[in-house]
Amino acid sequence: MKSFGKDGGLPIANHIRRLRFEAGEMTQSDLAGKIGMTRQTVAAIEAGKYSPSLEAAFRIAHVFGAKLDEVFQWVE
Amino acid sequence: MSFREKSAWITLVSVLVCFGAYFVELFGGLASSHHHFGGLGSVHLLLVATVALVALQVTLNLVAAWTTPKDGRGPADERERQIQWRSHTIGYHVLMVLALLLFAPAFFGHRGLEMANFALLAVVIAALTVAVAQIVMFRRGA
Repeated sequence: MKSFGKDGGLPIANHIRRLRFEAGEMTQSDLAGKIGMTRQTVAAIEAGKYSPSLEAAFRIAHVFGAKLDEVFQWVE
Repeated sequence: MSFREKSAWITLVSVLVCFGAYFVELFGGLASSHHHFGGLGSVHLLLVATVALVALQVTLNLVAAWTTPKDGRGPADERERQIQWRSHTIGYHVLMVLALLLFAPAFFGHRGLEMANFALLAVVIAALTVAVAQIVMFRRGA
């Protein structure tokens, strides 16, 4: 069952936008291509509208050379 | 807009146009007594509607694939597969309810091709439900 954070959104926050910026303004399309997803799905993850699978989350973290909890955080 | 979202819109519009026209003609004909509801005339109409649906879907999907950027027409990713599963589950439940409701026209004496048309209507409504559910989920993000 899907659980929701305080603001009614998904309870997982992320820093993908900042990490993309720090990776030389990597576009959502570039990131999507590196993790085998569509740009729309990357946009949905970034906007907190979709929680990726564990595998996809690790793929995203791997692209930025970051640990999983540096990209995603659980928000109570 | 990804190719799969465009495809959902294409399904919605093409099914609405082709089978909307089919059922309007069928039930309109019934009201004006030009056709025998469920007669051979409806089989001819069904053939025309089906051919039109296939032609419309193939053409519009080709246009959609052609006009969608490369990053939006790759293999379905996990979110798109999840949307497909969830929308088909909703469509399945709608179809089950409508299948049970088919007892109603049977109770009122409809038989043969008439019942086939009611069953077809149930399938069309389920297909439209799947398309609408997909569009809503794509628009919401998941």
